[in-house]
Parts: sequence; C-alpha cells; structure tokens
Amino acid sequence: MKRVAEDELIQVRTTVNGRSYTFSTEARVNLADALRYELGLLGTKVGCEHGVCGACTILVDGKSARACLMLGVQAEGRDISTIEGWATGKELNPLQESFRRHHALQCGFCTSGFLATATELLRENPTPTREEVRERISGNLCRCTGYETIVDAICDPEVAAFARGEQSA
Amino acid sequence: MNKVLKSDVAQFPLNAIGQSILRKEDPKLLTGRGRYLADITLPGMLHAAFVRSPFAHAKITHIDVAAAAAMDGVELVWTGTDTQRFTQGVRAGQNCDNYVHTTQPAMAHEIVHFVGETVAIVVAASRRLAEDAAELIDIDYEELPVVADIAEANEASAIANAEIPDNIIHHNVRVAHDVDDTFANAALVVEDVFYNNRVSASPMETRGCVVNHEWTTGLITFWSATQIPGFLRTMLANFLQIPEHTIEVITPQVGGGFGQKAHVHVEELVICLCARELSQPISWVEDRQENLLSATHAKHQINTMAIAVDNDGRFLALKNHATTDSGAYNCFPWSASIESKIGVGTCTGVYKIPLVRGESLEVATNKCLIGAYRGVGWSAGQTAREILIDRAARELKLSPFEIRRRNVIRTEDFPYTNATDLRIHEGTFLETIDVLERMVDYENFKQRQLDARAVGKYIGLGLSIFHELGGIGTRTNSYFGNPVTTYDSSTVRVDPTGTVTVTTALASSGQGLPTTLAQIAADALGVSVDKVVIRAESTANAYGLGTFASRAAVFGAGSIGRAADVLRTKIKQIAGHMLEVSPEDIVLENDTVHVAGVPARGMSMAEVAGAIYFAESAHPENFDPTLEATATFDPADNILANGGHAAIVEVDIETGIVRIEKVFAVEDCGQMINPMIVEGQMRGGIAQAIGATMLEELVHDENGQLVTTTFMDYLLPSAVDVPDIEIEHLTTPSDLVPGGIKGLGESAMISAPAAVAGAVNDALACLGVSITRGAITPSRIFEALQNAQT
Repeated sequence: MKRVAEDELIQVRTTVNGRSYTFSTEARVNLADALRYELGLLGTKVGCEHGVCGACTILVDGKSARACLMLGVQAEGRDISTIEGWATGKELNPLQESFRRHHALQCGFCTSGFLATATELLRENPTPTREEVRERISGNLCRCTGYETIVDAICDPEVAAFARGEQSA
Repeated sequence: MNKVLKSDVAQFPLNAIGQSILRKEDPKLLTGRGRYLADITLPGMLHAAFVRSPFAHAKITHIDVAAAAAMDGVELVWTGTDTQRFTQGVRAGQNCDNYVHTTQPAMAHEIVHFVGETVAIVVAASRRLAEDAAELIDIDYEELPVVADIAEANEASAIANAEIPDNIIHHNVRVAHDVDDTFANAALVVEDVFYNNRVSASPMETRGCVVNHEWTTGLITFWSATQIPGFLRTMLANFLQIPEHTIEVITPQVGGGFGQKAHVHVEELVICLCARELSQPISWVEDRQENLLSATHAKHQINTMAIAVDNDGRFLALKNHATTDSGAYNCFPWSASIESKIGVGTCTGVYKIPLVRGESLEVATNKCLIGAYRGVGWSAGQTAREILIDRAARELKLSPFEIRRRNVIRTEDFPYTNATDLRIHEGTFLETIDVLERMVDYENFKQRQLDARAVGKYIGLGLSIFHELGGIGTRTNSYFGNPVTTYDSSTVRVDPTGTVTVTTALASSGQGLPTTLAQIAADALGVSVDKVVIRAESTANAYGLGTFASRAAVFGAGSIGRAADVLRTKIKQIAGHMLEVSPEDIVLENDTVHVAGVPARGMSMAEVAGAIYFAESAHPENFDPTLEATATFDPADNILANGGHAAIVEVDIETGIVRIEKVFAVEDCGQMINPMIVEGQMRGGIAQAIGATMLEELVHDENGQLVTTTFMDYLLPSAVDVPDIEIEHLTTPSDLVPGGIKGLGESAMISAPAAVAGAVNDALACLGVSITRGAITPSRIFEALQNAQT
C-alpha cells in the first residue's frame, strides 16, 4: 500500500455522470465533500456524516453507496452517478417526475439520496411491492413526508415502465 | 372614513386555491439544483468550528488558545471573553409578571451551563483545519454541582444557573377554579403522571449561517437556514448593536426547520462578529452531533393530570400541573414557556369541562435549552388528557368514541367560552369523531381485538381529538399570556407586462410556500399561477416575523389579499375608464380585465398594466399609477383549526416491539389552498409523532451528559416504522382569513402522539399495564409488563 503524508494531496481520476474528472485531495476528505467541493457537484447532501441518514447516497459502479462513508480517494477508477446526471437536459426522468407528481419531497434535502436508492432498487426489480420498497428505503431518513408518498412514487406504473426500459426514448 | 384594519379580510373568487397544483420548486430540488446553506461558497470564504463544553456545569478556570492560533491556515481564535466585548449574548424571557429572564452569552465565559454550550471558536481556511486547531485549545474546568433533572431542581441542593433563583424560571396559574369538592364526590377520577420525553426536531439539514461583512460599505450579508429572516435581522441589530439597515438576511433553500430554525441562536451572533472582525466571509455549518447537543431541544414536560367524571362519562373537572425541564437558559424569542405554559392554555382541548385548575412551571436544569418544535407545548398535555379519557371510557364500559361524543363542544354550543377563557366559535369536533369511527370501523376493530387476545396477540386503538390555535398573531399570543404584537407584510406588484411579483418574509423550509402563496396571489388578482413569482429569500424584500406556528398560509393569504385589494381597485379604476364603464362593473379573471359577464369587452392584464406604467393618456383624472402595494395582516381573533387521529397498533408482549398497523387522520383546516400539500403536512407530522412517541429520546446521564449524540442512538422513524395513513377532510372556512384558510402544519404533532401512545395503552390495558413515560421503547414496555406481573 502506498503511504502518504497527512497533508499530502493525492490525485484521483474518476468518472462522474459519464464525464472524466481528475482532482487532488487530502486522504482524509470523504467522497461527499470531494464531490461537493472538488467537483462542484453540490446536489449530493450531507445530513449526518456517520452513515445513518442516507442523504448522501450516490451510485458507485451502479451500487448505492454512502458518500460520507467513502473517501474521496476511493473514487479512483470508479464510475459514479449523482443526482446531477439523472435528468436529460431539462427533462426530468420518470422517477423524478413521479416524485413530483406524488409529492414525494418537501424540503428536498434527502431527495437525492432517495432517488439513488430507488434507482438501484428499480434496476433490480422494476415492480417491487410496497413492503419491498419500504424495506429498501429504510436506510434513508426523511423528516418531512412520512414516506408514504415516496413509496407511491417508486411504485408508480410509469416508473415501472421506465425501469423495464419499455418506454421509448 | 372607514377605518382600515390590518385584520381586514380581502374577498376574491377562488380558482387556483383548492387545487393540488404541482410545486414550482420541485424541478430544482429533484435535479440537485437547489442551493442550501452548505452549498454557498464565496471568494475567500473561511470556515468556523466551535469548541463546546464537555461538562453540564463547570467553571472555566483557564483557556490557552496559543497553539491553535499559531496553526497554519488559522485566521482567528476567540473565546467568550472576546465576544463579551461586543455583546452580552441573547437576553430572553417573557414580558409578563414574575418572569426570570436569562442571558445566554454568545460564548460561555466563566461558567458553562450545559454540555454543548459554545466556549470557543476557530476560524480557518477549511472546516478540517478549524477542527484540527479546535482540538489544540487547552481548557481547564472546575466542575460544579449539576442539576440533571426536575427532581434535583426541586430539591434545590444545586442551582443550574445563578440567574435563576430556586431553579424556577416562571410559575403561572392559568385558571384556579375550586375543583376539590367535585373531585371528592365524582363517580370516577382518572389521574396519572405523564413523562414526555425530550426530543430534537432534527431537520435533515442542520443549522448554519454564512456571513460576509464588507468593511468599505459596512454592509453585512447574512445567509441563514432560518424560518425567521426578518426577525433575525432585527435581533442581530439589537444584540450586536449593528445598525439594522446595514444587514441583509438571505434565506437559501432550507432543508426543514420544524421550529428548531425559528430561534436566534448564539452561534449566529458569534459568526457575525467574527466576519466583521476579519472582513472575510465565514461559513458555519454544524454537524449532526452539534445539532443534537446544542440546537434547541423540545417537548420535555411532566404533566400531572386528573379528570373527574360522572357515571354517564361526562367530564366534571380537570386538574393539570405541567412542568417543563427547561434547560439552562430561555430560548429566544419563545422563552422556556414555549412548553407547559402554552400546553396548560389548551388543557381542556375540544371538551366541555366546566371546572379547571391548571398551572405551569418552568424549571431550570443543566441541559440544552428547550425551544420550539412543531406542536410546541401542546403535545404533552394532549397525550396525557386523551390517554386519561380512554382510561375513563374503559372504566365506564363506553367506547372511546362515545365518551368523547358526550363531552365535545357542539355546534349548538357556539360561541363557547371554555374554562381557560378561549372563545370557540366554530369547529367540527363531533363530526371528526363520527368520521374517525367510520374510518376505523370500530365494531370490526373490537371483534379483532378480542380474537387477537384469544391467540395471545395484543392490539389496541388510540384516539385523539384536537383543535389547534394556528395562524398565531397578536391575539393568540395574548391569549397565551405573552403580550407581543406580530407584524407580517407582503408587497404585491403587478409588473408592466402583467405578471405578478410578491415579496414577503414568509420563507419556506419545505412547506411549499413558493407554490401555495402563488395560488393565493393568482386568485387575488385573477391571473394564472404561472404568472406569479414569490420572492421570500431576502429581507431586502419585505418585513415579517416568518414561518412557524401554522401561520404562513394565514399571514400570506391575509397580507397578499390586502395588498392585492389595493391593486385591484386601481386596475378596475383604469380599466373602467378605458372601457367607459363603472369600475364596479370590472372583474379580474383568467389573466384578463373585463366587464362582468362580457369577457369580450375587456383586455389582458398586460395591456392594463402597460397602460398604468407607460400610457398617461389612458389614466383617469388624479390617478396614482403606483402598481405595487404593501400590506400587513394580523387576524382579528384566534383562528381554530381542528381534527383528530386514530391509531391501531399491535404489541408483541414477548419482545416489547410495537407495530403500528394503521393511522387515520381527519383535518379541518378550513379552505385548503393545495390539498396535496395539506396531506403532505399531515403525513409528515404523523411520522414525527410516531418518532417522538416510540423512538426518539434525548437521554442525559446523572451528570447531565447527553448520551444520544448520533442517529445511531437518537432514532428517527424510517419507512418501516411509519404505516400508510388514511386521510379525510372536513371544511369549516374561517371568516377571519381570505379564502377561509386556516393553518395546519402543527396539527399532527399536537394530536397524533396521543393516538399512538393511547393505542399502546389500549393494547396492554387488559394486562393491567399502562405506560405513561415516553419514548415507549421495547424496554419500557417490557419493564411495565414485568411490574404488572409482580
């Protein structure tokens, strides 16, 4: 393992939302802060910094991950997907649309984390039951909605169609 | 001349109001483009980290900041002695008799009074460096006797805060009828002591501010994740002796507030002073541990309550003694009386109880200060009363619905002045009970409960009927014994192209105000919602107290309605002149201004506005072309919304685990502005109620040390803890607010905890178990079951 000094900057090459980035960071900087302040991708939110609230959930190589529990240097060589990459231009994707239609967000601070978790779930199973959705999103905390409308949004038939890839582009 | 009152209610036809219009702010929030406090970066911005007290009560004997100050990248290290040069801190209390005001220093100097109190600050090039340097600050403390709970405070062997004699901040006898004979002779008395757990509002976004001081102009820009930008500005000026006009408070996107962000926090004073000292922008974003330690706590009450009941289940008298474990200082602006004093003010709820003895006591302890959290002081007393009512019903073999039906204030009783002197002139209390009984399918539930018991399962039903003093203005504050005047304004401008710009101090922290206030303005001027923009993000726009206490809808409708009224008159005047009809014959609707009943005889709002701004020849004689108006609003009386909650739970008596099967909610908030958003407020509040009742508890040890400082110890409800919620609406429009609107944001946190706690009690009543201490955790249930068996 390569050893670095405490304040030594480490160069990291990574891909975020399909774009290649190179940035330098201290070893101790977590991935959420690296995304936010090194790359300016402020859509990933930090709610607890100890891996419980799920607000900072992103997709790393297609799998959901807590950006506050990874280090920025662990982005090396990874394929990362964040909320900034999920709409097409100015068009929300069907999951984002469904969140809006079902009033699945209020203050919006937890929303990117929920979208990440839901995206991963829907890729595995386009038509989860309400119980499966509740179980899967139980690692994301929302203080505003009471969760029911988030479940509604994820279980929406238009989302299932999107998730199955049946919807034409 | 007619007297113009700020309680005047504007009249206009409803069109957008009442529709579940999708939120204007959502596309931004769904794509990561919302800019919250922590997303603000400014050139040269520095970062702050606080050093906080590790002791609940101690004397600071020595502080050495030299090593921290010498670190590379550190720009400033201050202690309480430094901030004390500029401000005494936050002076707080209520302006009523026998009230002990307190001064919370910006940072403690000499004495610390709770774990988490600010002691020193480091400002450095990054948060990381600031935290590194903070660890190098060397502080010696000499521990002092700690008042860790109310029982210790009463013994008075120690004093929590030398400013507070006998540890008593305030004692208030709200009402003192002679109830002793009634209790002595009553067929049934139900009574108990109820311990309401200390909780944290825990918005997903923590507190924070970014402050920039431009020394060349003296202007201060203060970004804060606050619910009260206008009031914060005034109080920064007051507490820091900074001219108010040099301060602009900007509210970025706010990630939830729930009352916790409706305070002036000492950290805000410190950051402002440091920014002025350095003339460089400073960002302070607290972490979750700081939030749990130092952001106002809430709901910590002990209620001793008794109800005297006759053989028919009629309530004869009620006694309520409510004590708040207030922490070491009054919060600002609410004071420690945000809890039990307010709670006792509505201790009879929606019921006819002729005789009442109600008193409140705010007791100081060495804990974080108690502050506002959704439902404020009402939750604890509501829970106590509704559990006792259920108990009386079981004793008298009445259904929980029937006993409440026999006691609620009914339409034929209006106006009804209750024992705490609240005049109630409307409400659907009886209807709420009937609707809930149908939703629950009570007959079916009773059978299920019996069937379940036969196979060793314990299910229970809890019920809670409430009213809510929402839209809190001068009259309601006065009712609660807090003599303050509220001021809230909006400015409405019809732009030259006919669009509408509304500026207000009603900042949103997620409630959807950019949409709902636009719905109000759209109807007030007869334009479509997409022609309206709400600008609430800066105190450069308008002045007002802010968004809390179910008041933004009420004050928004009131102030926007009154301001729009002025513009409507002018628009009708010029349109009448241009169309050669009387102004009274002109209507504003569908983005046009036309002769009533003849849409063809008219013109677009853009044409009329354009003529007012740019075509003097179209003006009638002596026409004042100003097309913007500012108006305040303050309701003429208390505004009462109402409703009820029912919960069904199953308790596993082997594990103590409670499954919440279903929650039912009925809300009567008058005319809904946006039903989708109303139901969002209801569901979110119910989730918080489930958390506060079953999971969340800020636990201090005997030394006043907070032991729940992460989300692994302080448990917020997740998606598996909150069931789907069935909702119905009743509608009693208010005649005190334009459109008949009432507030409802607090309601679920007032009433749903009682339903959830009541359901657990109902499930276990057949085992002789009652639970009167929250949070109702599995271990508390297990303990109660053990005690019942011995």
